[in-house]
Amino acid sequence: MKPKVAIFDFASCEGCELQIVNLEEAIIDVAKLVDIVEFREAMKESSDDYDIAIVEGSIARPIDEERLKKIRAKAKILIALGACAHLGGVQRLGNRFSPDENKKEVYHMARPEDISDGNPYFKEPRHRALDEVVKVDYTIPGCPINRVEFAKVLVALLTGKKPPIPDYPVCVECKKKENTCLYTVGGVCMGPVARGGCDAICPTYGGECEACRGYVSHPHEKAQMDVLAKYGLTAEEIMNRKTMFTSRYTEKKGGE
Amino acid sequence: MKIIKREDFKAFVNALIKDSGLDVEGVKAKGEKFAFGPLESADDLRLDYDVTLLPPKKYFLPQYEQLLKFDLSHPFSVDRPEYPRRKVVIGVHPYDIAAIRQMDSYFLDTDISANYLRRRKNTLIIGCDVMKVQEKAFFGSMGTGVMHSGYDLYLTDLGDRVAMEIGTEAGSDLLRYAKNIREASPVEVQKVKAMREAMAQKASRGLIVKPTGWHDLLEKNYESEVWKKQSDKCLGCGTCTLVCPTCFCYDIQDDLNLDLKTGERLRTWDGCLLRKFTEIGSGEVFRDDILDRYRHRFHRKGRYLPDRLGFVACVGCGRCASQCVPDIADPVNLINMLFEASPHLVQDSLSDPHTVRTDLQVIQTGDDAKMLHMPQAATIKRVEKLSAKETMFEITLDSGKTLGHTPGQFVEVSIMGMGEAPISVSSAPNGKSFEIVVRKVGDVTSKIHTMKAGDKVGIRGPFGRGFNVEGLKGRNILFIGGGIGIIPMRSFINYVLDHRKEYGEVTILYGCKEPCEMLFSKEVASWSKRDDIQHKRTVDKCPDGECWDGDLGVITTLIPKVKFDPKTTVAVVVGPPIMYKFVNRELLKLGVPEENIVVSLERRMKCGVGKCGHCQINGVYVCKEGPVFNYRDLKNLPEAFK
Ligand SMILES: Cc1cc2nc3c(=O)[nH]c(=O)nc-3n(C[C@H](O)[C@H](O)[C@H](O)COP(=O)(O)OP(=O)(O)OC[C@H]3O[C@@H](n4cnc5c(N)ncnc54)[C@H](O)[C@@H]3O)c2cc1C
Ligand code: SF4
Ligand code: SF4
Ligand code: SF4
Ligand code: SF4
Ligand code: SF4
Ligand code: FES
Repeated sequence: MKPKVAIFDFASCEGCELQIVNLEEAIIDVAKLVDIVEFREAMKESSDDYDIAIVEGSIARPIDEERLKKIRAKAKILIALGACAHLGGVQRLGNRFSPDENKKEVYHMARPEDISDGNPYFKEPRHRALDEVVKVDYTIPGCPINRVEFAKVLVALLTGKKPPIPDYPVCVECKKKENTCLYTVGGVCMGPVARGGCDAICPTYGGECEACRGYVSHPHEKAQMDVLAKYGLTAEEIMNRKTMFTSRYTEKKGGE
Repeated sequence: MKIIKREDFKAFVNALIKDSGLDVEGVKAKGEKFAFGPLESADDLRLDYDVTLLPPKKYFLPQYEQLLKFDLSHPFSVDRPEYPRRKVVIGVHPYDIAAIRQMDSYFLDTDISANYLRRRKNTLIIGCDVMKVQEKAFFGSMGTGVMHSGYDLYLTDLGDRVAMEIGTEAGSDLLRYAKNIREASPVEVQKVKAMREAMAQKASRGLIVKPTGWHDLLEKNYESEVWKKQSDKCLGCGTCTLVCPTCFCYDIQDDLNLDLKTGERLRTWDGCLLRKFTEIGSGEVFRDDILDRYRHRFHRKGRYLPDRLGFVACVGCGRCASQCVPDIADPVNLINMLFEASPHLVQDSLSDPHTVRTDLQVIQTGDDAKMLHMPQAATIKRVEKLSAKETMFEITLDSGKTLGHTPGQFVEVSIMGMGEAPISVSSAPNGKSFEIVVRKVGDVTSKIHTMKAGDKVGIRGPFGRGFNVEGLKGRNILFIGGGIGIIPMRSFINYVLDHRKEYGEVTILYGCKEPCEMLFSKEVASWSKRDDIQHKRTVDKCPDGECWDGDLGVITTLIPKVKFDPKTTVAVVVGPPIMYKFVNRELLKLGVPEENIVVSLERRMKCGVGKCGHCQINGVYVCKEGPVFNYRDLKNLPEAFK
């Protein structure tokens, strides 16, 4: 029997789900391997009966936490999909400010009673990665995820192999693609500490890597920060590079 | 030497592109830099380049290369990759030609790699002089600014004309596509010669110690504080190895398609600066400290490869120097810093930094080389669970041949779609089949645990150097096995027991953490019953509820409990890394001579044939020179028992 897969989303842009929909021909092969039962993005039916839960988005509110715990209890395997689920996403930057400050900043047009803690949709929006709330079996990193990698993880899962998420820096794939290193043409880049597997897509198109896939397991962070300073970045600019996607590593509370 | 006008040269390149049937690759602009790539028109060819981002090694050892394809819908279906297409690469600088010749020595020396051979044979090289020197290049200091062979054709840009030197018949044959070629005049020959001589002097960046002295300098400064100072700045990004024309290490991975049936085994560039490079299943990383990884690269280039193959594995292209972001990868700086930190008389321990095997021209003929990574089909005959984590498999080769191993050797066990794992042969060489015992730790080892009699696996090997079973005949032998170290040791123990009369006194000590981890319990029990051997076994602890009839305590506690003559006994020690430290110390204390201690070591392994670079302990390849070693040969290797 084909395993049943359900896809859920929390606080996210749903860009990662879109990547799955965009698998195009390959989605047909995927459909041969698994039954997709809950997938708002691609189809309407929903089901409460599944083996594998693929979860996108960060966990912000108590009601999210509750829902995630329910999903975890049902799923045999839980996969975190994308940077929001893996790291807390860009939105995690908001954790640097108090919930009230954030509300003022974002919803300054709203009536205070609508966004007060009494409204469960606005209670305690502290963004966390899935594995800070429940046990996560596999993680597919990236913002958005790499479709090819998604397919590979699925294959690994179905054949009992460890998912092929690399633990080397983005520079490795960048070099193999024979890109011009941004540092040699006046730019900066987080590639040396960021986890590879995206085929260095950003530097390939001339953009700096912001480590959306998180860090490698043993990043040479100090050397990286020294390099950024050497290349003329101010302390604030360095801090921005350091926290765009990876504030979970530096956050005082709840970080790794 | 031939001369061709510039327009005619362009027409020649265009004719190659259009009519030769070869894939034509050449140097093109890539943003502000240069790179080799497919040429669509002679107009794109940039012979005025300084250096390419990646070296032409990518044509012989591609970034990603199929080693084999498989199809899981058949019991064992493994195929060679397609034959690579014929190519011509235009614009290879002399230092890169020197690097390709080093690659030849590496891949075509012993254990010729057919994958490499096929590409090398099918690729013509058109070299060219360096017209513009990249600021970090130092090929002048390395003696690789001018090459007199190693190319099929060689070009020198003379402005309105191009001089062409013919290197091989195949190169001369290419000139069929050129029009209006004439012999060079003596003046032109002279001019080219003068240009070359000038070039050989350029690109020298004040290297204090000549390449012939690197070996001595590195050896004497293994513990220099320079390593720490520099490696503190290292990002561990791998760039310096990936962009280097003389770094050849690789990784191997299986890739299964979405149909869950077809797939391929891929080889891809790896590098010793990356942390994962030496990690093994248990999580141990043999060069975990960045200092060790940073130092290893320079030592491999300046000491280990020169010891093995005679050349310094650096041609002075300057790629690492210009692409390392913190700027610590530059060999010129490093060598100068080492020297300045402790100036002393450096000996020229190498006579010539560029000795390469010139007899390797054989590559122009024949394809008799082995596909080093191609496993043969084998069938599991019997499965026996030995403990919670270990299972024994009896295997026969489908060819009907015997494996032909020596005790202590290993095989690479292949499960298509999962990968390969080096596994010791655990049986003595007798009979058609052989036995392996596999501990479940990761992908391959877990998969094989689901297999049953009749299932197929792939086997490569036997590999490595085993125990000297012949040479040790007549000697007294003390076996000391810890944990799964007993698996490889058993092949030797059983051989000795099968030929008991040919050996002197035999003692077997065996220790595990707990009774439930004891392997081969029937055989072990039978050792106690024999009166022609001494045997003791121990466990670190015996949890409540388990029964145990042996000693308690770590394995070293058994040593004083048996009688043996330290002067004449050969100790065979196999166990986890930590065990060697204590057992060897104990044995040496008792007066066992160093050369009478034999060990078998585990390291990360991929290829098993001395090519992928993973298993190195300093300059020693465990897969070839080991896994069985004499302690005397290892004790001076700082990385051996770290
Ligand atoms: C000479 C030698 C003999 C060995 N003999 C035995 C034996 O008889 N029985 C046994 O159970 N195990 C043995 N091992 C260890 C065994 O090779 C590893 O446990 C196995 O490679 C793990 O592979 P995996 O795919 O299951 O694990 P994974 O963790 O999924 O492997 C990941 C990758 O790491 C590599 N790797 C992991 N561990 C090792 C390792 N220890 N050595 C080399 N590469 C490694 C593998 O090549 C693999 O590609 C031996 C190792 C060596 C070097
Ligand atoms: S990981 Fe990125 S792309 Fe995916 S949902 Fe989150 S923000 Fe969107
Ligand atoms: S551009 Fe970025 S990822 Fe690429 S090599 Fe340079 S630092 Fe590494
Ligand atoms: S290059 Fe960096 S930012 Fe871009 S996808 Fe890869 S990890 Fe993310
Ligand atoms: S020496 Fe430089 S290029 Fe090499 S790994 Fe370290 S930082 Fe990267
Ligand atoms: S070590 Fe550096 S300079 Fe030497 S060949 Fe390699 S990349 Fe070129
Ligand atoms: S060199 Fe590849 S395993 Fe030894």
